[in-house]
Amino acid sequence: MRIIEFEKIDSTQIFAKSLKTPKTWTVILAREQTAGRGRGGNFWYSPQGGLYFSVILPKSKIEDLQTLNILAAFIVARAIKENFDLEPMIKLPNDVLINGKKVCGILTKNIIQREVKFSAMGIGLNTNIEKFPKDLEKIATSLKIELGKEVDNKKILEQIVKGLKEQLRTIRE
Amino acid sequence: MKIKIGEKVYEVEIFDSEGEVKIIVNGKEFVFGKEKEKEISIPQISLPKRDFSKKEILAPIDGIISEIFIKEGDFVKKNQKLLFLSSMKMENEIVSDLEGKIKEVLVKKGQKVKKDEVLIKLI
Repeated sequence: MRIIEFEKIDSTQIFAKSLKTPKTWTVILAREQTAGRGRGGNFWYSPQGGLYFSVILPKSKIEDLQTLNILAAFIVARAIKENFDLEPMIKLPNDVLINGKKVCGILTKNIIQREVKFSAMGIGLNTNIEKFPKDLEKIATSLKIELGKEVDNKKILEQIVKGLKEQLRTIRE
Repeated sequence: MKIKIGEKVYEVEIFDSEGEVKIIVNGKEFVFGKEKEKEISIPQISLPKRDFSKKEILAPIDGIISEIFIKEGDFVKKNQKLLFLSSMKMENEIVSDLEGKIKEVLVKKGQKVKKDEVLIKLI
């Protein structure tokens, strides 16, 4: 897996879009984001400890990308369930929740010129975040808060990317 | 004999006698002779959804227009960002594959659109 890693960056999605020759399945990983974004331009809290990354997706039919974008939540939920004693839930279209609070956000960005020219899926998974600001405490949680211990970001990242590759192959078939 | 052009299959028979060639395509007769050739009509084939004589930008998927970056009268180049179309946590940046002056922007921010709906017309 090709990974471009940053200690701190504005947003992995912004960086992904800036790549002149983005290679398929390249992962842009950040330990911290200063301008992480959710849907509608909402700020995504991205302090050190969390798992924030973008994956350059293969050029595909937009319908396939739409399906993958939704199924990505199931892939993340499966990675959580297989590794930890937790019961993640999916809130459609693709939020992952634990005990009613959001633990993961997924947003795919495409550039379309009649057909898809570029596609990058951004995932923000609250892994090792100890505490959230007051305005997020009631709506967000992390694996560390739920488990009481730290988790291996790289291991989870590998499982998610592997899952996305397999799922896209299935969708295309 | 059967001939397949694209997705359509044609039944074809060819007869050759006394200097004339008769070709029958799906029951329709075409005759070619030494002295005289009759007019040929070419069977209709299905055209792609987009009419390339019209300079139009279509919605690639159902969604909501979340941002518009151009207005009527603007001159746009290829690859220029035109608008954002959001669909189920997917942000689609629609860029132009055409050059020209914007004749009409048929959508507004916040509007729901359907796949293949015309979003922008160019001159």
